[in-house]
Amino acid sequence: MGVEIAAVMSFLGLTSAFAVVAAVLGTWMAWRILEKAGYPGWLSLVVALLTLSGVAWIVALVLLWVFAFMRWPRDQPSGGMAVAGTSPGAIIGPAPRSIGAPSRALPDRRGWRLVGMLPSGTGIALAIAETTASWVVTGAATTKPGELSVPDPSVGQPHARLLSAGGRLGLEVLGDGETFIDGARLLPEHGARDISAARLIRFGKVELGLSRA
Amino acid sequence: MTWVIAWLLGLGTLAILGLLVVHLVVALVLIIPTWRICTRAGFSGALSFFHLVPLIGWLVVMAILAFSPWPNGEASSSGPGV
Repeated sequence: MGVEIAAVMSFLGLTSAFAVVAAVLGTWMAWRILEKAGYPGWLSLVVALLTLSGVAWIVALVLLWVFAFMRWPRDQPSGGMAVAGTSPGAIIGPAPRSIGAPSRALPDRRGWRLVGMLPSGTGIALAIAETTASWVVTGAATTKPGELSVPDPSVGQPHARLLSAGGRLGLEVLGDGETFIDGARLLPEHGARDISAARLIRFGKVELGLSRA
Repeated sequence: MTWVIAWLLGLGTLAILGLLVVHLVVALVLIIPTWRICTRAGFSGALSFFHLVPLIGWLVVMAILAFSPWPNGEASSSGPGV
Protein backbone atom coordinates (compact mmCIF):
# COMPACT_ATOMS: atom_id res chain seq x y z
CA MET A 1 0.00 0.00 0.00
CA GLY A 2 2.86 2.33 0.86
CA VAL A 3 4.30 1.91 -2.63
CA GLU A 4 1.00 2.97 -4.22
CA ILE A 5 0.78 6.04 -1.98
CA ALA A 6 4.36 6.98 -2.82
CA ALA A 7 3.63 6.60 -6.52
CA VAL A 8 0.54 8.82 -6.29
CA MET A 9 2.45 11.44 -4.30
CA SER A 10 5.30 11.39 -6.83
CA PHE A 11 2.82 11.81 -9.66
CA LEU A 12 1.16 14.73 -7.90
CA GLY A 13 4.56 16.26 -7.21
CA LEU A 14 5.61 15.96 -10.84
CA THR A 15 2.39 17.46 -12.13
CA SER A 16 2.65 20.32 -9.65
CA ALA A 17 6.23 20.99 -10.68
CA PHE A 18 5.20 20.92 -14.35
CA ALA A 19 2.34 23.33 -13.63
CA VAL A 20 4.65 25.79 -11.86
CA VAL A 21 7.30 25.65 -14.60
CA ALA A 22 4.64 25.97 -17.32
CA ALA A 23 3.04 28.95 -15.57
CA VAL A 24 6.36 30.78 -15.21
CA LEU A 25 7.44 29.99 -18.77
CA GLY A 26 4.02 30.89 -20.16
CA THR A 27 3.99 34.23 -18.36
CA TRP A 28 7.49 35.06 -19.54
CA MET A 29 6.71 34.17 -23.16
CA ALA A 30 3.37 36.04 -23.04
CA TRP A 31 5.35 39.06 -21.77
CA ARG A 32 7.60 38.95 -24.83
CA ILE A 33 4.72 38.36 -27.26
CA LEU A 34 2.75 41.30 -25.85
CA GLU A 35 5.77 43.57 -26.15
CA LYS A 36 6.37 42.48 -29.73
CA ALA A 37 2.76 43.45 -30.49
CA GLY A 38 3.34 46.82 -28.83
CA TYR A 39 1.59 46.27 -25.48
CA PRO A 40 3.21 46.55 -22.04
CA GLY A 41 4.58 43.15 -21.08
CA TRP A 42 3.32 43.31 -17.49
CA LEU A 43 -0.18 42.65 -18.81
CA SER A 44 0.90 39.01 -18.99
CA LEU A 45 1.15 38.99 -15.18
CA VAL A 46 -2.50 40.03 -14.98
CA VAL A 47 -3.49 37.24 -17.36
CA ALA A 48 -1.39 34.73 -15.40
CA LEU A 49 -3.04 35.74 -12.12
CA LEU A 50 -6.45 35.44 -13.73
CA THR A 51 -5.62 31.98 -15.01
CA LEU A 52 -4.23 30.82 -11.66
CA SER A 53 -7.42 31.89 -9.93
CA GLY A 54 -9.08 28.76 -11.32
CA VAL A 55 -12.46 29.79 -12.69
CA ALA A 56 -11.01 32.83 -14.46
CA TRP A 57 -9.17 30.73 -17.06
CA ILE A 58 -12.15 31.46 -19.31
CA VAL A 59 -11.30 35.18 -19.03
CA ALA A 60 -7.77 34.42 -20.22
CA LEU A 61 -9.23 32.49 -23.14
CA VAL A 62 -11.48 35.42 -24.07
CA LEU A 63 -8.47 37.76 -23.82
CA LEU A 64 -6.56 35.48 -26.21
CA TRP A 65 -9.36 35.87 -28.77
CA VAL A 66 -9.49 39.64 -28.20
CA PHE A 67 -5.71 39.90 -28.59
CA ALA A 68 -5.80 37.90 -31.83
CA PHE A 69 -8.42 40.02 -33.54
CA MET A 70 -7.86 43.52 -32.09
CA ARG A 71 -5.64 46.16 -33.65
CA TRP A 72 -2.13 46.04 -32.21
CA PRO A 73 -0.12 49.18 -31.38
CA ARG A 74 2.56 47.79 -33.71
CA ASP A 75 0.13 48.36 -36.61
CA GLN A 76 -0.94 51.86 -35.56
CA PRO A 77 0.07 54.83 -37.74
CA SER A 78 3.29 56.37 -36.48
CA GLY A 79 3.17 59.74 -38.16
CA GLY A 80 4.34 58.81 -41.63
CA MET A 81 7.83 57.43 -41.72
CA ALA A 82 9.99 58.58 -44.61
CA VAL A 83 10.63 55.82 -47.10
CA ALA A 84 14.07 56.94 -48.17
CA GLY A 85 16.77 55.82 -45.78
CA THR A 86 14.89 52.88 -44.26
CA SER A 87 17.17 50.06 -43.33
CA PRO A 88 17.12 46.87 -45.42
CA GLY A 89 14.75 44.26 -44.09
CA ALA A 90 12.77 46.78 -42.07
CA ILE A 91 9.01 46.99 -42.22
CA ILE A 92 7.46 50.23 -43.31
CA GLY A 93 5.01 51.79 -40.86
CA PRO A 94 1.39 52.41 -41.78
CA ALA A 95 0.39 55.55 -43.62
CA PRO A 96 -2.72 57.22 -45.01
CA ARG A 97 -4.21 55.52 -48.06
CA SER A 98 -3.47 58.48 -50.34
CA ILE A 99 -0.51 60.74 -50.80
CA GLY A 100 -0.96 64.43 -50.05
CA ALA A 101 -0.28 67.44 -52.18
CA PRO A 102 3.34 68.54 -52.52
CA SER A 103 4.62 71.53 -50.61
CA ARG A 104 6.53 72.89 -53.58
CA ALA A 105 4.89 75.63 -55.63
CA LEU A 106 6.21 74.28 -58.93
CA PRO A 107 6.28 70.48 -58.80
CA ASP A 108 8.38 68.44 -61.19
CA ARG A 109 6.09 67.37 -64.05
CA ARG A 110 8.38 64.73 -65.47
CA GLY A 111 7.24 61.13 -65.42
CA TRP A 112 8.93 58.18 -63.77
CA ARG A 113 10.83 55.15 -65.01
CA LEU A 114 11.22 51.72 -63.52
CA VAL A 115 14.12 49.87 -65.10
CA GLY A 116 15.55 46.49 -64.27
CA MET A 117 16.05 42.88 -65.22
CA LEU A 118 13.65 39.95 -65.00
CA PRO A 119 14.95 36.72 -63.39
CA SER A 120 14.90 35.23 -66.89
CA GLY A 121 17.56 37.75 -67.95
CA THR A 122 15.27 39.91 -70.05
CA GLY A 123 15.49 43.65 -69.52
CA ILE A 124 12.39 45.59 -68.58
CA ALA A 125 11.61 49.32 -68.62
CA LEU A 126 8.31 50.80 -67.49
CA ALA A 127 7.30 54.39 -68.13
CA ILE A 128 4.93 56.06 -65.68
CA ALA A 129 3.45 59.21 -67.13
CA GLU A 130 2.16 62.01 -64.92
CA THR A 131 -0.98 62.19 -67.02
CA THR A 132 -2.38 59.01 -65.50
CA ALA A 133 -3.06 59.13 -61.78
CA SER A 134 -3.16 55.40 -61.09
CA TRP A 135 -1.20 52.47 -62.54
CA VAL A 136 -1.68 48.81 -61.75
CA VAL A 137 1.41 46.60 -61.72
CA THR A 138 0.53 43.07 -62.80
CA GLY A 139 2.36 39.88 -63.69
CA ALA A 140 0.00 39.33 -66.60
CA ALA A 141 0.10 40.97 -70.00
CA THR A 142 -1.46 44.41 -70.15
CA THR A 143 -5.03 44.46 -71.42
CA LYS A 144 -6.01 48.06 -70.84
CA PRO A 145 -4.46 51.49 -70.33
CA GLY A 146 -3.11 52.16 -66.87
CA GLU A 147 -1.55 48.70 -66.47
CA LEU A 148 2.15 47.95 -66.20
CA SER A 149 3.19 44.41 -66.98
CA VAL A 150 6.08 42.77 -65.12
CA PRO A 151 5.97 39.29 -66.68
CA ASP A 152 7.28 37.07 -63.91
CA PRO A 153 5.54 34.30 -61.91
CA SER A 154 6.53 35.99 -58.64
CA VAL A 155 4.51 39.09 -59.53
CA GLY A 156 0.82 39.03 -58.57
CA GLN A 157 -2.08 39.66 -60.90
CA PRO A 158 -2.54 42.40 -59.82
CA HIS A 159 0.44 43.02 -57.55
CA ALA A 160 0.52 46.71 -56.64
CA ARG A 161 -0.80 50.14 -57.54
CA LEU A 162 1.33 53.17 -58.38
CA LEU A 163 -0.23 56.56 -57.66
CA SER A 164 1.04 59.64 -59.42
CA ALA A 165 0.04 63.05 -58.09
CA GLY A 166 1.66 66.48 -58.12
CA GLY A 167 5.10 65.30 -59.11
CA ARG A 168 5.18 62.54 -56.52
CA LEU A 169 4.77 58.82 -56.81
CA GLY A 170 2.99 56.50 -54.37
CA LEU A 171 2.94 52.73 -54.08
CA GLU A 172 0.27 50.50 -52.60
CA VAL A 173 0.26 46.70 -52.33
CA LEU A 174 -2.76 44.94 -53.81
CA GLY A 175 -2.03 41.23 -53.70
CA ASP A 176 -0.21 38.74 -51.52
CA GLY A 177 3.09 39.00 -53.38
CA GLU A 178 6.16 40.54 -51.78
CA THR A 179 6.89 44.23 -52.36
CA PHE A 180 9.96 46.06 -51.08
CA ILE A 181 10.92 49.74 -51.14
CA ASP A 182 14.69 50.15 -50.81
CA GLY A 183 14.79 46.82 -48.98
CA ALA A 184 11.91 47.61 -46.60
CA ARG A 185 8.86 45.44 -47.02
CA LEU A 186 5.55 47.10 -47.86
CA LEU A 187 2.46 45.27 -46.60
CA PRO A 188 -1.17 45.70 -47.73
CA GLU A 189 -2.17 47.17 -44.34
CA HIS A 190 0.40 49.96 -44.75
CA GLY A 191 -1.68 51.59 -47.50
CA ALA A 192 -0.11 53.91 -50.06
CA ARG A 193 3.47 55.10 -49.43
CA ASP A 194 5.35 57.96 -51.05
CA ILE A 195 8.22 56.42 -53.03
CA SER A 196 9.35 59.62 -54.77
CA ALA A 197 12.68 59.49 -52.96
CA ALA A 198 13.11 55.71 -53.24
CA ARG A 199 15.70 54.13 -55.51
CA LEU A 200 14.90 50.42 -55.66
CA ILE A 201 11.46 48.83 -55.86
CA ARG A 202 11.06 45.06 -55.78
CA PHE A 203 7.92 43.29 -56.99
CA GLY A 204 8.21 39.59 -56.14
CA LYS A 205 11.68 38.63 -57.37
CA VAL A 206 11.96 41.49 -59.86
CA GLU A 207 14.04 44.46 -58.66
CA LEU A 208 13.59 47.72 -60.55
CA GLY A 209 15.44 51.00 -60.25
CA LEU A 210 13.22 54.07 -59.92
CA SER A 211 14.20 57.33 -61.57
CA ARG A 212 12.66 60.36 -63.21
CA ALA A 213 11.96 60.01 -66.93
CA MET B 1 -17.03 -11.18 -12.31
CA THR B 2 -16.45 -11.15 -16.07
CA TRP B 3 -19.22 -8.63 -16.65
CA VAL B 4 -17.71 -6.32 -14.04
CA ILE B 5 -14.36 -6.33 -15.85
CA ALA B 6 -16.09 -5.77 -19.18
CA TRP B 7 -18.07 -2.90 -17.65
CA LEU B 8 -14.91 -1.29 -16.28
CA LEU B 9 -13.11 -1.64 -19.63
CA GLY B 10 -16.08 -0.07 -21.38
CA LEU B 11 -16.11 2.75 -18.88
CA GLY B 12 -12.40 3.33 -19.43
CA THR B 13 -12.84 3.46 -23.18
CA LEU B 14 -15.67 5.91 -22.78
CA ALA B 15 -13.55 8.07 -20.50
CA ILE B 16 -10.67 8.11 -22.99
CA LEU B 17 -13.04 9.01 -25.81
CA GLY B 18 -14.52 11.78 -23.70
CA LEU B 19 -11.07 13.15 -22.92
CA LEU B 20 -10.16 13.04 -26.61
CA VAL B 21 -13.27 14.98 -27.60
CA VAL B 22 -12.69 17.58 -24.87
CA HIS B 23 -9.05 17.90 -25.93
CA LEU B 24 -10.00 18.44 -29.57
CA VAL B 25 -12.63 21.05 -28.66
CA VAL B 26 -10.20 22.95 -26.42
CA ALA B 27 -7.49 22.72 -29.10
CA LEU B 28 -9.89 24.13 -31.69
CA VAL B 29 -10.78 27.05 -29.42
CA LEU B 30 -7.05 27.78 -29.09
CA ILE B 31 -6.10 27.10 -32.72
CA ILE B 32 -8.36 29.76 -34.25
CA PRO B 33 -6.95 32.82 -32.41
CA THR B 34 -3.43 31.40 -32.52
CA TRP B 35 -3.69 30.97 -36.29
CA ARG B 36 -4.59 34.66 -36.54
CA ILE B 37 -1.73 35.73 -34.25
CA CYS B 38 0.80 33.62 -36.17
CA THR B 39 -0.24 35.01 -39.56
CA ARG B 40 -0.21 38.59 -38.25
CA ALA B 41 3.28 38.01 -36.91
CA GLY B 42 4.35 36.68 -40.29
CA PHE B 43 4.55 32.96 -39.48
CA SER B 44 2.55 30.17 -41.05
CA GLY B 45 -0.84 29.72 -39.44
CA ALA B 46 -0.18 25.98 -39.41
CA LEU B 47 2.03 26.54 -36.35
CA SER B 48 -1.17 26.77 -34.35
CA PHE B 49 -1.72 23.03 -34.90
CA PHE B 50 0.88 22.49 -32.17
CA HIS B 51 -2.10 22.96 -29.85
CA LEU B 52 -3.10 19.41 -30.82
CA VAL B 53 -0.02 18.13 -28.97
CA PRO B 54 -1.18 17.41 -25.42
CA LEU B 55 0.40 19.25 -22.48
CA ILE B 56 3.33 20.96 -24.21
CA GLY B 57 1.85 22.04 -27.55
CA TRP B 58 0.85 25.52 -26.37
CA LEU B 59 4.33 26.03 -24.90
CA VAL B 60 5.91 25.27 -28.28
CA VAL B 61 3.69 27.80 -30.10
CA MET B 62 4.33 30.46 -27.47
CA ALA B 63 8.08 29.82 -27.56
CA ILE B 64 8.18 30.30 -31.33
CA LEU B 65 6.18 33.53 -31.10
CA ALA B 66 8.17 34.80 -28.13
CA PHE B 67 11.73 34.01 -29.17
CA SER B 68 11.73 34.18 -32.98
CA PRO B 69 11.90 37.49 -34.82
CA TRP B 70 8.52 38.29 -36.35
CA PRO B 71 8.83 38.41 -40.16
CA ASN B 72 6.13 41.10 -40.32
CA GLY B 73 7.92 43.31 -37.81
CA GLU B 74 7.75 43.97 -34.10
CA ALA B 75 7.16 46.97 -31.92
CA SER B 76 10.46 48.01 -30.31
CA SER B 77 10.70 45.91 -27.19
CA SER B 78 12.81 43.84 -24.88
CA GLY B 79 11.26 41.19 -22.68
CA PRO B 80 12.07 40.63 -19.03
CA GLY B 81 15.50 39.25 -18.56
CA VAL B 82 16.64 40.22 -22.00
